[in-house]
Amino acid sequence: MAQALAVETHGLTKRYSTGVLAVNNLDLRVRAGEVYGFLGPNGAGKTTTLRMLSGLLHPTAGTAIVAGSAPGSPASLARMGAMVETPAFYPYLSGRDNLRVVARYAGVRKSRIEPVLKQVDLTDRARHKFKTYSTGMKQRLGVAAALLKGPDLLILDEPTSGLDPQGTIEMRALIKELKQGGRTVLLSSHLLNEVELTCDRVGVIAKGKLVAEGTVDELRARSGGIALLIRATPLDQARQLLESLLKPEQIRVEDGALVLSVDPTQAASINRRLVADGLDVSELRVSEQSLEDVFLQLTETPKT
Amino acid sequence: MIASFRAENLKTRKRWANWILVGILLAWILLLTYLVLFLVVTLSPRSIQGPVPATLLKRRLFPENFVPTVLGASATIGAAIMLIFGALSTASEFGWLTVQTILIQKPTRAAVLGGKFVTLGVATLLVTAVMFAAAALASYAAVTLDGSSSAWPTWEVMLKAFGALLLELAVWTAFGAFLGIAFRSAAAAIGGGLTYLFVGEALLGGFLRNTAVVKEILKFLPGINGGAINAAFPSTIRDSSATTQLVSAGRGVLTLLVYLVVFTGVSLLIFQRRDVGGS
Repeated sequence: MAQALAVETHGLTKRYSTGVLAVNNLDLRVRAGEVYGFLGPNGAGKTTTLRMLSGLLHPTAGTAIVAGSAPGSPASLARMGAMVETPAFYPYLSGRDNLRVVARYAGVRKSRIEPVLKQVDLTDRARHKFKTYSTGMKQRLGVAAALLKGPDLLILDEPTSGLDPQGTIEMRALIKELKQGGRTVLLSSHLLNEVELTCDRVGVIAKGKLVAEGTVDELRARSGGIALLIRATPLDQARQLLESLLKPEQIRVEDGALVLSVDPTQAASINRRLVADGLDVSELRVSEQSLEDVFLQLTETPKT
Repeated sequence: MIASFRAENLKTRKRWANWILVGILLAWILLLTYLVLFLVVTLSPRSIQGPVPATLLKRRLFPENFVPTVLGASATIGAAIMLIFGALSTASEFGWLTVQTILIQKPTRAAVLGGKFVTLGVATLLVTAVMFAAAALASYAAVTLDGSSSAWPTWEVMLKAFGALLLELAVWTAFGAFLGIAFRSAAAAIGGGLTYLFVGEALLGGFLRNTAVVKEILKFLPGINGGAINAAFPSTIRDSSATTQLVSAGRGVLTLLVYLVVFTGVSLLIFQRRDVGGS
């Protein structure tokens, strides 16, 4: 039986009045109960997509189903909680009063406020005005507001943005906790380790298009996955030799080392050839591609 | 819409800026409109230069004239304050980006804005009542301190005047709210609104009033129509410098009702269709 989808889009497209094509024919499938990482560089179209899924932006083309209904419809909104781009609240109200306002709009009982404040660890500061909050506290209040409805689907846009390391760790732990109970979390980020540490599956978006989707391991495998790293001198001579043995696209140089996209079982034979040609091999090991490598490859961003 | 109204109610009550606006309005009526004039005509009647003598001018502060006095205040400071109130209420949501927090809760956009306009309406009703009560109280105090006697207007006149004041203030509130939604910036909405109120309409209505083309345009402007309604509640003091009204009070009421519907309707249309966020 096919797994239920919390979010499904077909050909979702957004072209702004300025002519900018922010999202281009996006087909996205987020399964119910998973933490889905929506990964992409700044300006890739992540926030625009989340705004469309939340009903804040009207798509130029395409369709979407979010939590079983059309985006922005009361039925969809009733089952989803979201924090899009930045936690936005009334600066003159306390954290608690801001949640009271949100609860009233959402038709949620007042008794839900204290548990969510406790869940995001804001009870002690809840009576203070929002404008006095640190970035981390604002982010946590944003998550608390998203949780008020006890939603089946939680959409979080860059939830660790602006947080210090400790705040980032706490937010990650919170996201993992939120997944409990079968809740779906759609998390957008440009931070690779954040996605790697928290998400079950990842969708990579670049220039408004979904360029890859799968688990982190699947993405690694798809883009070369495991590689062979060799440090040999002279480097140019080693490279020439390897180019006579392998296809050019299987070889690249990174940080003074040769990275070969080959089966690791070839390590011994490659080593023998290098040594036989009089080259000094100082390092030879299997290297697992980091998500960063995969990301850069998929989004065609030159590595600095 | 009830959910939205309850949320708006909480936000409006807890916002200090709103109470400051009410305070300015009260201070204007009690201090500038009543107290200063009372002190001047009582303590230094000879300093009054003009067609109306000080003894007669004092009667403007008495109960017999509290209706035209409070309506006169609504045409200037009342309009400005309610325009700012309406503009702050809508434009701030865009400035703070809270509009997106609201719109990702349960209600539809129409319900969200409906709740906001109902809240603005209730607040306008309360401000009208406060203005009326303050003016009545000040009138009572003036006549009591002076030891004179003065008759209150009939209940019918007071009810009609209350309705007129409510309508005028509601139009300026709706105008401010509309500008807030159109500009999505409190500064632009307030700046634009006050410029129109004090420069555009006041200049046209003052200096160019007798130009044929301008006169025709003026007949459709909210301030001019509000003035025509106010003129239906004349002061017992005849002022020879008073300008003649371009439209009747009945037409003024009708025009302001049309403005109220148009500002509300266009605001809803924009709010319903426009994207929130993005570029």
